[in-house]
Amino acid sequence: MAITEAELSSMTRELDDMHQATFPDVRRTLGEFTDNLSRAAASRRGVLLGVGGVAALGALAACGSDDKKDTPKPQASTTMSVYVGDLRVVALAAALENLAVTAYDGALKRASDGKLGTVPPAIATFITTARAQHADHAAAWNGVLTKAKLPAIDGAPLTITQGAVDALGATDSVASVVKLALGLEESAAQTYTFAAANVTDPGGIMTAATIQPVEQMHAAILHFVLGEYPVPLSFVPVDKAVKPDVLTR
Amino acid sequence: MNRAIDDGRLRELTVQSEDLHSDAMRTGRAALDDYVEQTLDARASAPRSRGLAGAALVVGAVGIAALATGGPAWADAKTDMMMLQTAASLENLAVFTYKTALTLPFIGGDSANAVVKAFATKTMAQHTEHGQAFNAAVVKLGGKEQTATDPKYTPVVQAAVPTIKGPGDVVGLAITLEDVATQTYVKNVGMVTTPELRQLFASVAGVEAQHKAVLLAVQALLASNAADLIALPPDGAKLPSAAGNVAFPDAFFPTAKASPPEEGAVK
Repeated sequence: MAITEAELSSMTRELDDMHQATFPDVRRTLGEFTDNLSRAAASRRGVLLGVGGVAALGALAACGSDDKKDTPKPQASTTMSVYVGDLRVVALAAALENLAVTAYDGALKRASDGKLGTVPPAIATFITTARAQHADHAAAWNGVLTKAKLPAIDGAPLTITQGAVDALGATDSVASVVKLALGLEESAAQTYTFAAANVTDPGGIMTAATIQPVEQMHAAILHFVLGEYPVPLSFVPVDKAVKPDVLTR
Repeated sequence: MNRAIDDGRLRELTVQSEDLHSDAMRTGRAALDDYVEQTLDARASAPRSRGLAGAALVVGAVGIAALATGGPAWADAKTDMMMLQTAASLENLAVFTYKTALTLPFIGGDSANAVVKAFATKTMAQHTEHGQAFNAAVVKLGGKEQTATDPKYTPVVQAAVPTIKGPGDVVGLAITLEDVATQTYVKNVGMVTTPELRQLFASVAGVEAQHKAVLLAVQALLASNAADLIALPPDGAKLPSAAGNVAFPDAFFPTAKASPPEEGAVK
């Protein structure tokens, strides 16, 4: 039996309701995460361990080794940063989500300015919904930071941001925007895959684990829109994972 | 212009996908190998005070089995193994389901949509690889490979198969299985004991979630009598607006339907 656009919209509203129903669990997980991190941040030992953790995380991302005997020197931004240990990964995640929000906002602006040609309604819906989910993710990560008495990440303080903004400014079609968004979604998903393995707090692990599949779902649809096979890989790799040292705060 | 992808282009995309897939497989296998090595190393060093049990380890898998009555570390590893076996059982069931679906004329036959047929074929292969990966870890850890299908959801599939009348029924059933698998692996990420195993479960969860996303999109198009839009690339201008977000209903992937570790464990 065929359904109408209105019925499809109704299905979407039901899905939104389901989404709201999942929020209490997420909030509980984040609350536990924050409590654990707050205790860690309150102790000097926790902070020192955190710095070591970041160094190991950065080294692992860079060369695939977590050999503790060869601990690399922390990056300058790491040394000066208030975001250390798992909280640096949280800050990175918040910044990545903000970058995605910025990119989708920019895409909508370019679309409304007529710079992308005709934008199909389904694409506009995709952008609006994906943007909202990324905003939810950013709010969740920032909630962890503020509960840990650290400043929330506003904007996208990342070394890769300017490149993404420049790339967005050069888009002149729906396909070029979709390709850019796909790169961001895949980087985010791979970053969370890496984070799930490398953060130490159980709440942080689960937060990354519950967000990663959502970014993957965004990516599948973007592949589909581009005419590419939507599930190209059997395992999510981590070669495009964004390293914590790209965070500039 | 015919927007539907032709078989040649579909094969080309599949080849590209397989090239990418080979790289990812190396990542998955490396994570598994790391996990197995770390677990064996941990066991090799931990039980030194356990006398005979520690000595038994040097002979390999038999030694590992001898630790079955050991302390908490082994209890954690045993739960890891159960999660791997349950995961394998879910993968086995997914393979069975897609294999069965491909025998139906509207999924794998002449009347099938080319993209749906290619998706079912490729997805079955990916589930096969997932099952092999999970079982490889089980065997390397000295456990018994899980070759059976998940006991909770097998009756669901068996009951559904005779009632299938069209592609929509198959898609609905597949969504159920992909959703349960994803929820299980997401939850397992938070339960397993090593970073390597967390990465393995996360790396598979993300792929099952993509299967679910594609199936949700296909389901919506079938329900709106727009099967002709299931094409690569789709005719974006014709897609209903609501089709743009039907594929990712949750901002955070839920875990309420996750299968417990023991559900598909080898008895």
